[in-house]
Amino acid sequence: MLGLGLGLAALGVAIGLGLIGYSALNGMARQPEAIGKLQTAMLIALAFVELVFLLTVFAAPSAFKETIEVKKIEGAAATAE
Amino acid sequence: MGDFSLLMAAVEEAGHEGGHEGGHHVSVSTAGSLIYILLVVAILFGLMSVAKGGLNQRVFKNRMTSYFEQLFLFIENMCVGIIGPHGRKYIPMIMTFWMVIFVSNVVALFFPHSPTADLSFNLGMALVAVGYVQWEGIRANGLGGHLSHFAGPKLGFVLLPITAMIFIIEIISEVMKNVSLSLRLFGNINGGHKAVEAMNQLGMSIYIPFGEFLLPIKLLTCVVQALVFSLLTCVYLSLVTHHEDDHAAAH
Repeated sequence: MLGLGLGLAALGVAIGLGLIGYSALNGMARQPEAIGKLQTAMLIALAFVELVFLLTVFAAPSAFKETIEVKKIEGAAATAE
Repeated sequence: MGDFSLLMAAVEEAGHEGGHEGGHHVSVSTAGSLIYILLVVAILFGLMSVAKGGLNQRVFKNRMTSYFEQLFLFIENMCVGIIGPHGRKYIPMIMTFWMVIFVSNVVALFFPHSPTADLSFNLGMALVAVGYVQWEGIRANGLGGHLSHFAGPKLGFVLLPITAMIFIIEIISEVMKNVSLSLRLFGNINGGHKAVEAMNQLGMSIYIPFGEFLLPIKLLTCVVQALVFSLLTCVYLSLVTHHEDDHAAAH
């Protein structure tokens, strides 16, 4: 479940990064003299989109911790029985 | 590092039930981290003393000096491009951030641990960056000006609750800048390590370290993350240090 969630997060972020790169390349090809400005804006956007995935990675364990602990307790109870 | 190792432990525990005791990981102590920080400082000190040895009245005598000149020009271009003409005085701080992060990231390519793969070091660096931004904002606009900068546009007396709300939200976002800066760097470098580890385990049965094929993309990450950290510091600086007079002069 955790792996699936992280995979979904990675999927969304990958689409976002692809869109940013796509549009930045489009803009650069149309207007090569604006490459400097476009690169700066692109990097900032990339950083912010990337952060979403990192936040997911760091927030996921605490969100799933309870279910994991519950499963552990249930497993222990099952073996005790 | 706590959360990530927790995640890894959870994943491992889900993978094979109750094998060896939990998910054991190479956790580096504070003293171990300090050794890597000292390594980075030593590398930087060596490089820059070589670069300083090449300084001359007219020409640069060695190659390292010209490399550092190129780096300086790059950072200067970035600062002036983002902050504006008065951005030149922030170059030393931005360049220090760039070099420390870049060298630490390169250390991460060759060693099992590095300062930037440690959340505490990154958080310290982010605190320094954001604190520096506040300091420069206060110096540029005065304490009152800097605080009123958080309160958004002047809305008048009737909309005072909204101004208060904007103020609180801006303060929260200012604090979250620490988290975002440090977490981004930590996640990228530490995640790179974890990816190499996983790929190495993939090829362990046929004795091919697949993880080493990730090194080129990790090198790219090194440059990009150093750039992103300094770029975002520049952006934060440009947000707090723009003068009202400049606007008036521009119009």
